[in-house]
Amino acid sequence: MTSTVAESFRDAVATSELLVTCGPGGVGKTTTAAALGVAAALAGRRVVVVTVDPARRLADALGLEVGAAADAPHRVTGIPGLSDSKSKKSRGASESGGELWALMLDAASTFDRLVHEQTANSKQAAAILENPVYRAISGSLAGAQEYMAIERLHQLYTSGEWDLVIVDTPPSRHAIDLLEAPDRLIGFLSHPVYRALTVGQRAFAKVTNAAASMFLWAVRRLAGPQIVEDTVEFFRSLANIEPGLRKRAKEVSVLLRSDVASFIVVSSPRAEAIGEAEHLIGALRDGSFPFAGVVVNLIHPMPEPLTAADRVALDDLDEGPLADQVAWHDELTELATAERDEIAGLADVAEDVIVVELPLLAVDVHDVDGLVGLAEQLAADA
Amino acid sequence: MAGPDWLTSTRVAVVAGKGGVGSSTVAAAYALAAAREGANVLFVAVDGRPGMGPLLGGRELDSNDRILRKVKGAGQVRGRTIPADQAFGDYMELKGVGGMLRRAASAASLPMIAAATPGLEHLLVLGKIKELERDRSADLIIVDAPPAGHAAPFLRSATGLSDVVQSGPVREQSVEVDEMLRDPARCQAMIVTLPEETPVTEALELGNELRGDIGLSLLPAVVNSCWPDRSGLDKTPAMAARSHKITLSATAKAALASSTDFGRARLERQRSQIERLGSGIGVPLVALPRLATPRLTLHHLGELADALVGPLIGDAS
Repeated sequence: MTSTVAESFRDAVATSELLVTCGPGGVGKTTTAAALGVAAALAGRRVVVVTVDPARRLADALGLEVGAAADAPHRVTGIPGLSDSKSKKSRGASESGGELWALMLDAASTFDRLVHEQTANSKQAAAILENPVYRAISGSLAGAQEYMAIERLHQLYTSGEWDLVIVDTPPSRHAIDLLEAPDRLIGFLSHPVYRALTVGQRAFAKVTNAAASMFLWAVRRLAGPQIVEDTVEFFRSLANIEPGLRKRAKEVSVLLRSDVASFIVVSSPRAEAIGEAEHLIGALRDGSFPFAGVVVNLIHPMPEPLTAADRVALDDLDEGPLADQVAWHDELTELATAERDEIAGLADVAEDVIVVELPLLAVDVHDVDGLVGLAEQLAADA
Repeated sequence: MAGPDWLTSTRVAVVAGKGGVGSSTVAAAYALAAAREGANVLFVAVDGRPGMGPLLGGRELDSNDRILRKVKGAGQVRGRTIPADQAFGDYMELKGVGGMLRRAASAASLPMIAAATPGLEHLLVLGKIKELERDRSADLIIVDAPPAGHAAPFLRSATGLSDVVQSGPVREQSVEVDEMLRDPARCQAMIVTLPEETPVTEALELGNELRGDIGLSLLPAVVNSCWPDRSGLDKTPAMAARSHKITLSATAKAALASSTDFGRARLERQRSQIERLGSGIGVPLVALPRLATPRLTLHHLGELADALVGPLIGDAS
């Protein structure tokens, strides 16, 4: 009704190797990421979509279960035009050959995988993995979820198994969190206290560096003596994988700025969301990330206007159903107009990139058919 | 006019909801409604989202406790943020760590200590709120909890930390915060959601988490952004016109149908989702109107505050 697909992401889903969707919460970001995945699969590509916190029904539609089991890619079935089978022989002539897979990010198991990959042997890995401090922080270290989304993206991208990796990022008020995650990890590893604690292999009781002693003293003072030993142990074992982590953070940083990557900002027409989207676009540009475009979801339909003559006829109605309808018509018109002003402002900020506007659908998108419909709008023929 | 009992039934009200449901706005409307009843209200923004101070009629919030708005002949709304590093400094001071050492320790080590003690930043902030509550620094403290699924981890930091930390002041602090969260006279939570499928499902889950795991009592739950329930939309424009003894032109019929069809579908969904929430969440509901603007002002906040103290849906009494 009001969908005004000016341009589409048809080229982006057909040629990008990495797509990152980002934006505020509650704007249909995960649904958009999944629909872009459907569009790319229908274009014949082997796609994996990494979701962070999908709503239950969307997760069900993608065949994802809650928990660590969902961290491995699952084939999404039931998409018209795509084969459901792993066997190439069973593909019908009409099928595109594309495949859609999905997984739900589990920050803790991604971190575990990273530790295994970066340690020289299983004994070293176990020293880290069994440390109580590691076990407590691997899921909740500041920015861990953002960093792990990026880490998972790198793992999947370099595996060579996928034509396209789509990553849905955690909703971010501080939009640059995600983009800065690798740098922040490096910052953490460069912290003077961390350095002092991990230099040499002295027992923690002999730590002489002033800043480090103060740190240990503060931890002991605040959280009791037991945790101090675990903390020092953890930082020391982390030192074994530090060069690997640094190298990885650098690689990811380069990959995200290369021309195989595309960033898509998802928003709604509400002012707060638009404000966050504009901030995010600025951060992407400042950081030289390839910014492909904007999706504005959940736009209210603009009613057909009442003519001046009809207005006169509908003036001064007594209370009743028709008065309800006129009041509602005015209210919806006012909201739809204000939303279009907000979108125009966002389009100005976005300048020459693609802006796709999607209407508020009468039903939430939570099944494969809904995703296919959305995919068609996102990747319509220009 | 006296406000409803629940409005000032506790000293700390934590307002929580998933991202995008407008929980910060509802928290601000709650603060205004309580101030109109004469309460001295402190609005605490945990996440420091921009725009909340001006929405309440004052300056942008920072870590200084400032008056945002005085309600004539009634109470006032103050506002502040609680940055984790400041809460850390205050906490050190409280524990008798003074001067240079405190400044050095908090500047150099908070990120490190926080990394080693997950949930510590949240706990420090909750601990600060607990201090404010204990000192009776306001009649009502409204906490605008972190959004986007972080409300439960934020509140759970008190219990979660005890798994890692078995002694020391952090342990004490988490026990004390836990006590506050479990005492309905001191602290309750208000869940905010939208009349839509996914947000309602998430609100029901959040309700179980807050009550079950954390032991919080719940204030009435807020269904934000409800369309006014206009029964006239159930009819076609032609039918509606007949009951007004008017004949519509073809253009008027088409124009009204274009908005009525959409409105009818939205209203049907809204009714069924409100019913689903009401039967599952175990507390009465308050419906707040959807305002026909994407950009809220002080005036809109007043409308929301009026609606917040309106009749409860599903109130047994």
